[in-house]
Amino acid sequence: MDNDLKSYSSVQKWIRNVNQMFALSESEWNNRLQVLADFCAHVGRNPDEIIQDALEEKGQKVDFMRRLREASKLKFQDSIRAHEWQNVVRSFFIHNGARVVVRTYPQGTT
Amino acid sequence: MQFLDVCGLRRSVRFYKTWQPVERDKIQRILEVVRVATTCPGNLQPWRAVVVDATKLAPKDREMLLAADNYQGAHRTAPIWIYWFADPEDGKPQTFQKRVHQLMDVGALASCHGWTHDAIDASIEKGVRSPEGMPEIGGFLHNLPYEISVAVARGETIGACDVACLAAVNEGLGTCLHMIATVDKVAEVKKFLKVPDRWEAVWLQLLGYSAEEPEAGGQRPRLPFNEIFFEGEYGKPFPRDETVVNDLRKEGLLRAPAPKPERFEEIKHLARMFGFPV
Repeated sequence: MDNDLKSYSSVQKWIRNVNQMFALSESEWNNRLQVLADFCAHVGRNPDEIIQDALEEKGQKVDFMRRLREASKLKFQDSIRAHEWQNVVRSFFIHNGARVVVRTYPQGTT
Repeated sequence: MQFLDVCGLRRSVRFYKTWQPVERDKIQRILEVVRVATTCPGNLQPWRAVVVDATKLAPKDREMLLAADNYQGAHRTAPIWIYWFADPEDGKPQTFQKRVHQLMDVGALASCHGWTHDAIDASIEKGVRSPEGMPEIGGFLHNLPYEISVAVARGETIGACDVACLAAVNEGLGTCLHMIATVDKVAEVKKFLKVPDRWEAVWLQLLGYSAEEPEAGGQRPRLPFNEIFFEGEYGKPFPRDETVVNDLRKEGLLRAPAPKPERFEEIKHLARMFGFPV
């Protein structure tokens, strides 16, 4: 995988779409890109491949979400931090047209 | 609240305070408003509603109802879910006949306009042309196909939901109309709510205290006045008097358009507060 995540078209699209609305700071993006890089390493695919697979087949997308939860649990014991980490990748999926189920914080539900 | 403030502040709210319950009396007040204020041809009143307190649902039931709404984010945070249904039985000519007799008996429909009990019965039962002065109900209602009764019931219930939205704003609550996503999910939800098979699912009204700023980011884009309202004939726009527009601004109907400054910053904070992805 290319070390520069920003060279991937899916990542460029993600950054462009999010910044159109929310204008995140450079440090926020650096954190996000690190999360995405970690997830890519966990699933052994680059960002464009992940989106291509997720858009091609729902089963693949569901499996990515399962592996996302799996990866976050390996990193964090705290469920809130794990949820936030997952949300970065969910955002990457959403802004590339791959619909994913979004949830509130585990204890934030009614 | 004043009527124009209620209208001016009506928004589809998509973030609710999960931690603030809705008082039961406020729910009842909304339902009471719908019952009294909603207009309907022939006083049909086909609307029905089942109120669900999401905070009291078993997790599996909550999950099923959320799935039926395609897991929409706003639905997840709203504490009260009102399922609105239309009863086609109350869209049928026989119901129209019964209710219109009732309207005559209470003096809402007057014989001086041509209404008589006999004329109502003859029009609906035999298709006899109605006397001038009353609507030509025979031509429309005699032998009315059931599908039209369903459509009438649905259409009138949509109007009731609009009233319910304004009533919610009047109670200081946020609200939004959703729907049950797919046909198979409709059956599942109806079974869970134990409603009669014949009832038609119309809207799911979310209710709760808004977590958004009071104007929820500003008034939504609306079509230009002169493109939707005409005088005398289509193509001649109804003139829009700027004095009236200015008065309505002062009276609270016309407010800052969306997006208000900082709206996207607000969404970012709301998303983070609830745990949604940005």
